[in-house]
Amino acid sequence: MPELTLPVLFRDRVKEFGEEVALREKKKGLWRRISWNEYDTHVRNFCLGLKSLGLQKGDRVSILGENCPEWLYADLANQCAGGISVGVYPTNSYPQVKYILDHSQSKFVIVKDQEQADKVLVIKDQLPMLEKMIVIDMKGLRKYDDPIIKGFQEVEEIGKRIHEKTPSFFQKMIEDTKSEDVAIIVYTSGTTGPPKGAMLSHQNITSVLDSFFQVLPVSRADSLVSVLPLCHVAERLFSLFIPMKSGCTINFAESIDTLQADMTEISPTIFLTVPRILEKIHSTVTIKMQDAHPIKRWAYDQFLPLGQKVAERKLSKQGVGLLLGLPYFVGYFLVFRPLRNRLGLLQVRECVSGAAPLSKDIMKFFHGIGLMVKEAYGLTECTGVFSMPSGNDIEIGTVGKPLPGWEYEIAEDGEILMKGPAVFAGYFRDEGATQQAKRGGWLYTGDIGEFDERGHLKITDRKKEILITASGKNIAPSEIENRLKFSPFIKEAIIIGDRRPYLTALIQIDFDNVADWAQRKSIPFTTFKSLSRDPEVYKLIQEEVDKANKELSRIEGIKKFLLLEKELDRDDDELTATMKVRREMIEKKYGELIETLYR
Amino acid sequence: MPELEVKALTINFGGIKALNGVSFSIEHRQLLGLIGPNGAGKTTILNIINGVYRPSSGNVFLDGQDMIGLKPHQIAEMGLARTFQNIELFKNMTVIDNLMLGRHRFIQSGILSGSFFLGKCLKEEMGNRDRVEEIVEFLEIEAYRKKIVRMLPFGIQKRVELGRALSMDPKILLLDEPCSGMNTEETEDMARFILDIKEERGVSIMMIEHNMEVVMDIADRICVVNFGIKIAEGNPKEIQGDPKVIKAYLGED
Repeated sequence: MPELTLPVLFRDRVKEFGEEVALREKKKGLWRRISWNEYDTHVRNFCLGLKSLGLQKGDRVSILGENCPEWLYADLANQCAGGISVGVYPTNSYPQVKYILDHSQSKFVIVKDQEQADKVLVIKDQLPMLEKMIVIDMKGLRKYDDPIIKGFQEVEEIGKRIHEKTPSFFQKMIEDTKSEDVAIIVYTSGTTGPPKGAMLSHQNITSVLDSFFQVLPVSRADSLVSVLPLCHVAERLFSLFIPMKSGCTINFAESIDTLQADMTEISPTIFLTVPRILEKIHSTVTIKMQDAHPIKRWAYDQFLPLGQKVAERKLSKQGVGLLLGLPYFVGYFLVFRPLRNRLGLLQVRECVSGAAPLSKDIMKFFHGIGLMVKEAYGLTECTGVFSMPSGNDIEIGTVGKPLPGWEYEIAEDGEILMKGPAVFAGYFRDEGATQQAKRGGWLYTGDIGEFDERGHLKITDRKKEILITASGKNIAPSEIENRLKFSPFIKEAIIIGDRRPYLTALIQIDFDNVADWAQRKSIPFTTFKSLSRDPEVYKLIQEEVDKANKELSRIEGIKKFLLLEKELDRDDDELTATMKVRREMIEKKYGELIETLYR
Repeated sequence: MPELEVKALTINFGGIKALNGVSFSIEHRQLLGLIGPNGAGKTTILNIINGVYRPSSGNVFLDGQDMIGLKPHQIAEMGLARTFQNIELFKNMTVIDNLMLGRHRFIQSGILSGSFFLGKCLKEEMGNRDRVEEIVEFLEIEAYRKKIVRMLPFGIQKRVELGRALSMDPKILLLDEPCSGMNTEETEDMARFILDIKEERGVSIMMIEHNMEVVMDIADRICVVNFGIKIAEGNPKEIQGDPKVIKAYLGED
């Protein structure tokens, strides 16, 4: 009896579903179906191909590129052979790629296209462990004659020949995978310091699946669009792990530019997202509505508050009643249904937001249009998800109750501690950090939180990010930042105030929306910089800040702010790969500017 | 044998000698950059090769066959495609329709089967669409497929025009200022596409371009014309150091 691992689950699903659709990929303008059997063939051939290239059990294989079926084939194939997969963000610059390939001591790297291949070619001489680079899309690379390059199909061909000779070899490998073996290493985005590689075992994965399905059962009929980077543990959970248990369908959009249209065509039933995307959808809808036909605009303005009222009733478990229900019914057909259809979110039955705290206002907006967004909480180190609201038991501002199977505790200083089979195996090649994170069997999350009377967990902030003002008041900046980011004109806000007399903010305007506003007001501008410097724009943002201040306590109010004259960028180390702000870096970089706010 | 050979082209417009004995050739899979100051006669050369003008004297050979006297559509049939300095697309048609038009030379079914969209015609249409989709993917214009060309940004329109030329499956591609009016990023993308067309599809290319950085970066050979006369030819390095070229661009001191 083989142990329970991801490859074993995969084999079982292939047996169960055979010719039914497992993946869809839009190519040449048409959605192409990939059945479980085809999925299996690709994984098998690539796995045997890797094996013949010299993959040994426990070897690390990195995957670098945007989401595509081959990403999943490579990941599973590697795991079937007992290898450990390491995802790398396609947006990483080559020194960042080098850090991960070097630290993980990867033997192979699988890259999507020329853009990614070029990064690896620059650094390959500094990576003595790297033996082969396998390229999925060879476009533009055929003239390169570097012996390190191999085509993805070429490797599959090798595997195919091996399978014809020894047909049982692949099955044997799957059966040999052990549940305590490390399956993947996920490099954390690291808002402070270099990324750390969290090792997740098959047992971590299967146990998180078990508890996840108790709260959010996924079935064969569900379908998802794979959008967020697969190297992030949450997207991996939704696009790779969950289908292995449920057999749901994963869809790959044609390109990032066609995502919106592709979403509408697929109309997924489960939507995993991050606050940044929800903020973007909200601000786009808000701005687009200004251009809409007056009747449409009127309907939107009338029905949105109604939708929110209905959502509030539903959340507090009250009946909606005929007085609200009837107009809501009208609003549904006039506004909410077409709007959600346009966004590709009409069929969504479960919408989960994670990875960063979500503002309450954004959440209320989506609930208002009938999309019951729920916020989940988890870490890479706990295999993705620790707590999530169950069913319609959503309390805005909390992340629901911990999933079954977790033991948990709030430490004296408010830090959340957890214990369970999904706690990671440790950081790769970093014993010190592992001991720091896992003490006495508990995982120290570094997050401050508390439980309310109904047992819902409320996350205050990252422990490191809590500000203590000069008057000794503890302040969680993320909540204030999120309140500011609710404005369609504000894209990023960083609250400053640690050991300072009052709070200030660095604000990055949302270029598209502010530019649109400026054009309406006939304010001339040329670049992001000139727009940020415009006094009228400053006034606009001042109004937005004032609005936010009204909802905050006096001590949390923002006294002064300034507008950043350039957009924060990953390449300048100001954002992490998941677009989180690197506070320390920014405070250092803009130190002098910040001082001007306290004069 | 060179793929395209131009021999002693001369053309007079009224009393003006726009070209005077210009000769050059393009080998298979070569990218020839044609440069020169404004009014040097670059586009005129393109128009002669393409059959729009008939030269006063001189010859143009495609695969050894003389093309002087042939009509532009006959020359297109032979596998020569071009783009224009000012975009010449069908502005009120969609991107896909514009590209499908490029497949015209491969359509064999007649009016009758076409009007009922039956059998052979349907099969042909599907085959052509498949090719066109390949080009859409190649040029990364998936998001614009069904958009009306008029509504698209300039840089994308340029890409669509290149796509239409490509959908003819040409042996030789003539590009008239493919990067004009583009920002740095669009220019970089375009340069990469041109290189990929040469490498991946084995198409020989002749390109007029004013952006010297692009020409020096991607051309295999460069031919310089000034006042209708070829003043230099060679690889980018040679051209950069050629005193006659420097003089033509910067003037005499």
